[in-house]
Amino acid sequence: MQIEEMFAQVPWGLIWPILLIELILKIVAFVDLSKRRATNGPVILWVFIILLINTIGPILYFTVGRRNE
Amino acid sequence: MRQFWIFARKEWKEQLRGFKIIWVPLVFIFFGALEPLTYHFMPQILDSVGNLPEGAEFQLPDMTGTDVIMSLTGQYQMIGTLVLVLAFMATMSGERKSGTGTLLYVRPISYASYFSSKWFTAAILGIVSVWLGYGMSMTYIVQLYDVYPGAGELIKFLLSYGVWVLFVITLAVAASAVLPTGGAAGAALGVLFIGQIVDGMIGEYWTWTPWRLPEYSLLYLNAGPESGEFWGALAVTVLLIVLLAVIGTAMAGRNSSRAKV
Repeated sequence: MQIEEMFAQVPWGLIWPILLIELILKIVAFVDLSKRRATNGPVILWVFIILLINTIGPILYFTVGRRNE
Repeated sequence: MRQFWIFARKEWKEQLRGFKIIWVPLVFIFFGALEPLTYHFMPQILDSVGNLPEGAEFQLPDMTGTDVIMSLTGQYQMIGTLVLVLAFMATMSGERKSGTGTLLYVRPISYASYFSSKWFTAAILGIVSVWLGYGMSMTYIVQLYDVYPGAGELIKFLLSYGVWVLFVITLAVAASAVLPTGGAAGAALGVLFIGQIVDGMIGEYWTWTPWRLPEYSLLYLNAGPESGEFWGALAVTVLLIVLLAVIGTAMAGRNSSRAKV
């Protein structure tokens, strides 16, 4: 199947909110990461986790990645 | 009472700065949107990723909106509980560890308003997040499914399920008053998930527990639960919430000496 055909078949009207939420979670996680001085584990690790693991990545960062000190 | 609102405003600001107020609702809304979509597009999803042998055919059940809400509740029972406990596990233990605690504990504060303000803001955030998740799910269900529960039934369900969410949050906040962060998360999740397993095994004989409450709430979407059992479970849950709040308040005061300077 051609790429354009596949794209046309995707029901964008229905799934755009999910993509938007995904994007917001990633952006917020990165904003927080850029402000924070201490994380549990190396920062670069969290960059990849947030970027590559969908949904669960940012949640992991928010719950166990941050350190308040 | 004045102290309560001052603390509540401080909590609110903290949730805002930690982005908790953004990510907790978004997680619930995300799963709320995903669930109806997954079931609606199940045939296409199986087609594209299924790796099915040629000629395999499935008879997929006809899902109604009520079925989707039930399945979403199952998701929230697992992922939602996890997210809520992880989000609120450091409510009090975090302050003891980070040093914010020492700034508070040297002042003549009432631990009742200290605990209740934290509990109140956590409960509002958690319950509203769950409700928003169901709201998102309903907007999809109304568009994609023919049969769906009416507004009155849904509101009854949301209210009674909210009590369960309140129980989860109270447990997490109280645990963080008693134990350090990691222990609090472990204890709260342990109690909640072991309770669910025990409920799955002997729940038939043991009808008045908080763990039955989600199930009874879901019955509101169909015929309505047996009222005696529902109100019994609700009463026990409320009683446990009050008990946990009292324990949490007492332990918040006692543990204040453990705050790191």
